[in-house]
Amino acid sequence: MSGAGDLLLDVQGLEVDIPVAGGTLHAVRGVSLSARRGETLCIVGESGCGKSLTSLALMGLLPASAKRRAERLSLAGEDLMSASPRRLRALRGDRMAMVFQDPMTCLNPSLTIGDQLTETFLRHGKGNRRAARDRAVALLERVGMAAATNRLGQYPHQLSGGLRQRVVIAMALMCGPDLVLADEPTTALDATIQLGILQLLAELQREMHMALVLVTHDLGIVARIADRVAVMYAGEVVEEGPASIVFGAPRHPYTRGLMDCIPQPGRTAPGTRLGTIPGMVPSLVGDLRGCSFRGRCPYAMPVCAEPVAVRDGPDGHAWRCVLPGETLVRAA
Amino acid sequence: MSAIPPILELRGVHKRYTVGAGMLARRRTLTAVAGVSLKVDRGEVLGLVGESGCGKSTLARMMLGLEEPSEGEVLLDGRPIGSLGRLERGRLVQPVFQDPYSSLNPRRNVAAIIGLPLAVHGVGTAAERRDAVEEMLGLVGLAPRHAEAFPSQLSGGQRQRVAIARALVLRPTLVVCDEPTSALDVSVQSQILNLLLDLREKLGLSYLFISHNLAVVQMLAGRVAAMYLGRVVEEGVAERVLGHPRHPYTAALLASVLTPDPSLGLPEMRLGTAFPNPLSVPPGCAFHPRCPAVFDRCPREAPALLPCPEGGRAACHLVEQPEGGPPPAGLVQAA
Repeated sequence: MSGAGDLLLDVQGLEVDIPVAGGTLHAVRGVSLSARRGETLCIVGESGCGKSLTSLALMGLLPASAKRRAERLSLAGEDLMSASPRRLRALRGDRMAMVFQDPMTCLNPSLTIGDQLTETFLRHGKGNRRAARDRAVALLERVGMAAATNRLGQYPHQLSGGLRQRVVIAMALMCGPDLVLADEPTTALDATIQLGILQLLAELQREMHMALVLVTHDLGIVARIADRVAVMYAGEVVEEGPASIVFGAPRHPYTRGLMDCIPQPGRTAPGTRLGTIPGMVPSLVGDLRGCSFRGRCPYAMPVCAEPVAVRDGPDGHAWRCVLPGETLVRAA
Repeated sequence: MSAIPPILELRGVHKRYTVGAGMLARRRTLTAVAGVSLKVDRGEVLGLVGESGCGKSTLARMMLGLEEPSEGEVLLDGRPIGSLGRLERGRLVQPVFQDPYSSLNPRRNVAAIIGLPLAVHGVGTAAERRDAVEEMLGLVGLAPRHAEAFPSQLSGGQRQRVAIARALVLRPTLVVCDEPTSALDVSVQSQILNLLLDLREKLGLSYLFISHNLAVVQMLAGRVAAMYLGRVVEEGVAERVLGHPRHPYTAALLASVLTPDPSLGLPEMRLGTAFPNPLSVPPGCAFHPRCPAVFDRCPREAPALLPCPEGGRAACHLVEQPEGGPPPAGLVQAA
């Protein structure tokens, strides 16, 4: 675990509602998260669990139809809920930056790498063109791109997927942000390229003493890079804590179920069946009461239909389940 | 000649494309597949692994008869694929593709999608086809009520079950699965992988299973072939190839598998970042610009795919001359 830096991102009771035909979709339901400087927090979950909407809500980038509420949403002590759009624009790209999944769609195909890198820097008034250019070259070199000066004149299509993602990361770092939010930054890449990008993110996070919030569906990535993990299901954080505890001794049946679903070389014998999570995610339209996982949970009891309180364990480990103390073991 | 020919055999298969559109652009040849020889025996699962652009999907398309090789032969059940009629071919080999969102016709219901191969080939009467569809639904774990549903009403996992049912309705011997679970969530992926294992046992199927996820391949495949820039660089029994890889590329692929083990941290990446470009394949061993064990011979001379002492084949100079150069055992990295 990295040392306890100051609390940088503090989110309490975040809700995101999206109006849909036939009601309101409660996509994010009472999510509380925090990230300190020098810490990597991973938000993990399957499609539709609300992890991407959570990250967009933090950045204030939700679609116009979505409604955001929160008891608290602050960056370095500054309240983001009451911040003006102008102030938010000043913070985004400067104090908090985002790395998106697909580098082909978040880079402008008609502008050079150099233009796109320097734009944020100039826009936030960090210095003149000369300084912006120097910073861009330095960062491109830092993210492992050879011949950085020549890259400035290149267009995105001239780069491979892995290099484009390196450019996007360099872009996010131009103003030296306190917080970097990365939403599935390596999902579009090959495993060998993915590893390089993850190593780079981890190094930069340490070097620049940033908070890194990484959103992914891949438990392997989470286990290897996270200091702390938040597991999301149906719009809620169902388990949260230090990666070693959440993966070593998961307390929520959904976390346990997810871990049993993935084949592990050397441990899953050829031809053995994997664990499964039967059933489907409940509809998030309308009112939901009780544990959202109870319809698929092998341990479900009548009491699960009542609202479930969050339980706390040591080292900031918390989970939303009524099951008594003992660790869940893998079903034989 | 043995009595039973392998269900699929590739002999020195090449596929070249001419690229370079536009008035001024020079025409260039892209070699997607460069001399691949492989076979899949009946009842066997061959895993095919490699990064994007290594030619694995082009190879799959040639096995399905969707592309013709520029050179070399594709044999299904011992006969050249071009000599087979469409129905004959369809009864031997069928595909399951990656994305069940784009591989199913959104305007047809599930029964029509699964029954289409039968209807196209005029197999059986309408009533027999209905029975066959119903049987398929049960086989892949869908309820009879799903027959009337449209793809948009199904989840990703259900759609992939429909795609599998459609592939099996002609009762093929070989199913070519091209990244069948990459678009799915992990909890759905495990259901589909279990289903593929069950179906193989029940129907005695052979799979050619293409995936970039070595953990998935390890669970399913009896034999594994690794491809790099259009060539097979290592091939053999899965236990040997994935347990003791002899080619540095296979070792690197294995090292990049991230298991959910927080005590391990991120493994060290020993591969160079030079992106493999099929339009300019490096001379000698195509892998040498990224290889952690490269030596003077590699850029000069392309290694042949030769038998390894431990079994299987590998295309690496280190394997050819075990007494010279750095010890190949040093390449094996614990996952």
